[in-house]
Amino acid sequence: MTTSINRTFEINEPIEKVWDSLSNPHEIVSCVPGAALTEQVDADNYKGTVTLKFGPVKASYDGLVTFLERNAATKTMSLKGVGTDTKGKGGADMLMSGVLTDKAGSTEVNVTMNVEVTGMLAQFGSRLINDVSNQVFDQFIDNFSNKLAGKDVNNTMSAGSMVGSMVKGLFK
Amino acid sequence: MIQCKTSKAISGMGHSMKRKEDARFIQGKGNYVDDIKLPGMLYMDIVRSPYAYAKIKKINTEAALKIPGVVAVVTGKDLEQYNLHWMPTLMSDTQMVLPTDTVMYQAQEVAAVIATSRYAARDGKEAVIVEYEPMKPLMDPYKSLNDDAPILRPDKPGKTDNHIWHWQAGSREETEAVFSNADVVVKEQMHIPRIHVASIETCGCVADYDKVDNHLTMYMTTQAPHAIRTVIALVAGHVGLTEEKIRVISPDIGGGFGGKVPVYPGYVIAIAVSFLVGKPVKWIEDRSENLQADSFARDYHITAEMAATKEGKILATRFKILADHGYTDAAANPSKFPIGMFSVCTGSYDYPTSFVEADAVYTNKPPGGVAYRCSFRVTEAVHAIERITDRLAFEIGKDPAKLRIENFIQKDQFPYKSPLGWEYDSGDYVAGLEKAMNAIDYDGLRAEQVEKRKKGELMGIGISTFTEIVGAGPSKDFDILGIKMFDSAEIRVHPTGKAIARFGTKSQGQGHETTYAQIIAEELGIPAEHIQVEEGDTDTAPYGLGTYASRSTPTAGAAAVMAARKLRDKARKIAAYLLEVSEEDLEWEPGKFSVKGAPEKSKTIQELVFAAYTNHPQGMEAGFEATHYYDPPNLTFPSGAYICVVDIDSETFEIKVRRFVAIDDCGHIINPMIVQGQVHGGLTQGIAPAMYEELIYDEAGNILNGTLMDYLVPTAVESPKWETGHVITPSPHHPIGAKGVGESPTVGAPPAIANAIVDALSVYGVTHMDIPITPYKIWKKLKDTGKI
Repeated sequence: MTTSINRTFEINEPIEKVWDSLSNPHEIVSCVPGAALTEQVDADNYKGTVTLKFGPVKASYDGLVTFLERNAATKTMSLKGVGTDTKGKGGADMLMSGVLTDKAGSTEVNVTMNVEVTGMLAQFGSRLINDVSNQVFDQFIDNFSNKLAGKDVNNTMSAGSMVGSMVKGLFK
Repeated sequence: MIQCKTSKAISGMGHSMKRKEDARFIQGKGNYVDDIKLPGMLYMDIVRSPYAYAKIKKINTEAALKIPGVVAVVTGKDLEQYNLHWMPTLMSDTQMVLPTDTVMYQAQEVAAVIATSRYAARDGKEAVIVEYEPMKPLMDPYKSLNDDAPILRPDKPGKTDNHIWHWQAGSREETEAVFSNADVVVKEQMHIPRIHVASIETCGCVADYDKVDNHLTMYMTTQAPHAIRTVIALVAGHVGLTEEKIRVISPDIGGGFGGKVPVYPGYVIAIAVSFLVGKPVKWIEDRSENLQADSFARDYHITAEMAATKEGKILATRFKILADHGYTDAAANPSKFPIGMFSVCTGSYDYPTSFVEADAVYTNKPPGGVAYRCSFRVTEAVHAIERITDRLAFEIGKDPAKLRIENFIQKDQFPYKSPLGWEYDSGDYVAGLEKAMNAIDYDGLRAEQVEKRKKGELMGIGISTFTEIVGAGPSKDFDILGIKMFDSAEIRVHPTGKAIARFGTKSQGQGHETTYAQIIAEELGIPAEHIQVEEGDTDTAPYGLGTYASRSTPTAGAAAVMAARKLRDKARKIAAYLLEVSEEDLEWEPGKFSVKGAPEKSKTIQELVFAAYTNHPQGMEAGFEATHYYDPPNLTFPSGAYICVVDIDSETFEIKVRRFVAIDDCGHIINPMIVQGQVHGGLTQGIAPAMYEELIYDEAGNILNGTLMDYLVPTAVESPKWETGHVITPSPHHPIGAKGVGESPTVGAPPAIANAIVDALSVYGVTHMDIPITPYKIWKKLKDTGKI
């Protein structure tokens, strides 16, 4: 099951500062709810974990994050994440790409994320996955903006809001 | 219209007797498989694959075995030691019980956890860690025949493609000749979606092996207990379980609909574990397991074509089918008919030429292809012929009711030899359709439709005039695994004139305990109230192939008649002895024999039965029992004329079924109220695939609606008011002229609804839509074709 999200948002920081964060795996992963890097394999490859909570269901993924592109000149990056559920209940692949545009001192960020989920999570049905993915992505954007502004980052998966979004999804 | 020969006290055929079994069902006193609790019983839960196609690298059971209460985790490697990791399917294919190296569909069984409680078993299941190496699954049946498609079944020696079988009937050349010379040819590509029976009760069993007696008692949700006993003996004979040591008990069943005919891996694992540990093992599926892993129904891709004169005389039909069977052919068809009874697809119309060909393929989907409330692929056949008939009407601008009436097989043409070789037994199709048209005011509706169209409102009228083929079946053509498809009845009347009757069939809600009693009451005059019907225990009931495909009344019902008539003959002999007259001087009326011309000299059936135990003629065998195994001379051919009216919102495309009239011909009716109940339930299961149900998979092999939250089974909320009625043309070869009714409405309703919706949308030039037809699908079709 594939979910695609594309968002454009603006951050009131200069483009180089934004780029430094976007192209730094430690910075960017710390903004993804539930995600953590556990090991650097080489310059482009990192091992990590993602834990998502969907109401009563918790899914933990072990995965490999690979930077496919980090072009400081064009300010474009793309990365691929391949994860498998730690209990063998499925997997998730993600392709994420971002591009920055200078907007007179502030920076426009365009991020696209394609997530393909297999197994238990996919069986929830698309309504739920789409809602939760959007929720996670919104939280990522908030975190990313806060981080650049020097504010606190909430990197935990917010279970309450997930349940809320789940319930909302069910009655769509 | 329905005339009763017996009094209400006897309640033979035609009486709307209240169902005897309902007393326990409505009081919560039914005894279902999950109600069975045995001392020392263990519980099983099943680890299932998250992937549609993957290699199993490793199964780690360590953590699971540490959970208190978990006693064992069984894998394919464990079963392999006993050669029980594969099992045969009813279609002579093979199916994994548990995989040793590869999983073939999402939700496939991977390992079984055995524990001392249901909860521990579920906890253990969560703790089993399986490492997979996912592979790209093959989900599209059309792609499965491509040269670059992976070979899904390399376990089958010499298998170099994903093709399972080819089947054809009729003459390709003659049909082509008619098509190439016809004035009009219409053609549509149709998909009859993959759906699920979704019975209220899921599947399950309690396998109870007694080591001391070397005896297995298998409590199991099965529609065919006797066949299951034989299958177990065939696959487990090599470990010492022979048929006399196996007892299959099918307790009350909460809906079967064909889904409880196959043998699922869970049953086999439970037996294997019970055999090894010597304790009873219970396995009960949860709702999602049932929906995701148990046998699907339908999933036929059909190209339907019809050739006709420009006036609308049907000349020939042609059907080409691609059947998606999942990773193994685990359908439940009679052996000689891998496509079931699809060849009844020529329908209710009189024309000489037809050709059908079908190919079945493997994909990474669950196996199945069961006859969901359907006599083996008849639903698919009826949908194809009824849709393409409407397509012809649209093409030549003729009213679809008129087109049908002009092409119907006439009532004096029966028995009618169909183009593909069936002998239709009886019918009056014109009477049926005219009755339906009058009931719904067809002409008035067409006039209303004209007015509504002027105002831009979407209203459609759909007709389905179908012919069914049920009651499998005559032994010359019909068997399952070589066992002929007869069925049986045994009647034992006690000295006081009360009886017990046992059958080879198994009710799953059909009301056998009532209707069989009424059949015997009709023949013997013993009140139905005093005839106890039993089914489902292979140690007590006579052998039979079970209940599915509307076969119980045509086969076991007929067996009951024949057994009762043997007893009536015996009663006549006893009466002649007691009344001191010759047998020819006696006449029968329900419940007694009397002397012709001297009606005051008579003996009731109760007196005669008592005499059979207390005062029987010398030389006559004592007692009052009879058994009959009935091998039907032909199938029966119920028919129906259904008309549906829909209103579709012109902006949201919400579909409302305004009226639905169903006129059925199931021959003589045993219990009108039960028939009406069957028709109501069947119509609701007919609206389901027409408007709501479809099992949907994505390209990665995930099922996208594997819970009842996403897979919409219609309830009272979605169901319209059903208006029902009858035409009766008795089956000439059935001893009481009955034909079977269980599946007619499920088979006949979807094309009536689809035809109505397409009729409404014909103002946009729409000629076909695949079911389920949803508001979104309509919006998308109109949007894609630029109509809105």
